[in-house]
Amino acid sequence: MTRIEQRIRWASILIVAGLLIQLGTFLLVHPLSFVAFLVIGCPLVGAGIVLYLVSLTQNSTTE
Amino acid sequence: MPFSAILVVIVVAAAVALVVGVRANLTRSREGKAFAFVALFILPGIAVWVGYNEQMDRAESKTFCLSCHVMADYGKSLYVDDPSYIPALHFQNNYVPRDRACYTCHTDYTMFGTLNSKIRGVRHVLVEYFGTIPKPENIKLYTPFNNRECLYCHLGARKFEEGRAHSRTPDQMARIKSNQLSCTSSHCHDIVHEVATLKDAILWKETPAQQ
Repeated sequence: MTRIEQRIRWASILIVAGLLIQLGTFLLVHPLSFVAFLVIGCPLVGAGIVLYLVSLTQNSTTE
Repeated sequence: MPFSAILVVIVVAAAVALVVGVRANLTRSREGKAFAFVALFILPGIAVWVGYNEQMDRAESKTFCLSCHVMADYGKSLYVDDPSYIPALHFQNNYVPRDRACYTCHTDYTMFGTLNSKIRGVRHVLVEYFGTIPKPENIKLYTPFNNRECLYCHLGARKFEEGRAHSRTPDQMARIKSNQLSCTSSHCHDIVHEVATLKDAILWKETPAQQ
């Protein structure tokens, strides 16, 4: 597995984790769900997307 | 967007991202790269956006506001069988949407009003879990209630504009509209939630047709 593939795998893990947390926050209509969505779910998905984009730019630099 | 559609979007986004994670070597081909772009950028972005909108929508509901125990009496005050209680009058007569009664009066009708409301809400959450929770009767607004929130609906309404009580003095209407004279001033609409006296209040019982 190449380095970019490892990063893509990590990006995928972060995104899936973030989306699963988002799904979990829909179980309850409660302020804590809202906070968990904003403070945990969104940053995880955001971090995954950023990691993926970073891996793309570094790959294109290598090429 | 229906809630079931939101769930489908998020589940599909998670499943597709998982496929790319498990089969990362897919990205060696050109088609695989395009698939990964959709799976790790486009779909998660859409999923977060629809999820965010759903959460913001839920955060405006009465259920959401009253889910903290300390707010229970405020919810009860909406059922007081006395039209001099302003929140009860608005709630029981559908002057505000019943399922969004709290938000409708307590948001700021400004450009960033919704955002400000959410920031205040997060502050409430911090107090609820990390601070000292005051007794319901000791809860106060962070800033005095602004007439702008009342005028968002009442401005231009005949009952408001022609109301004799609003024009007792020549400049009274101008003072109300400029927020110099509060709608909740003494002898105006000063009976609001009054949670300290709720235990003696008679409560309205909705009939099925009124629910």
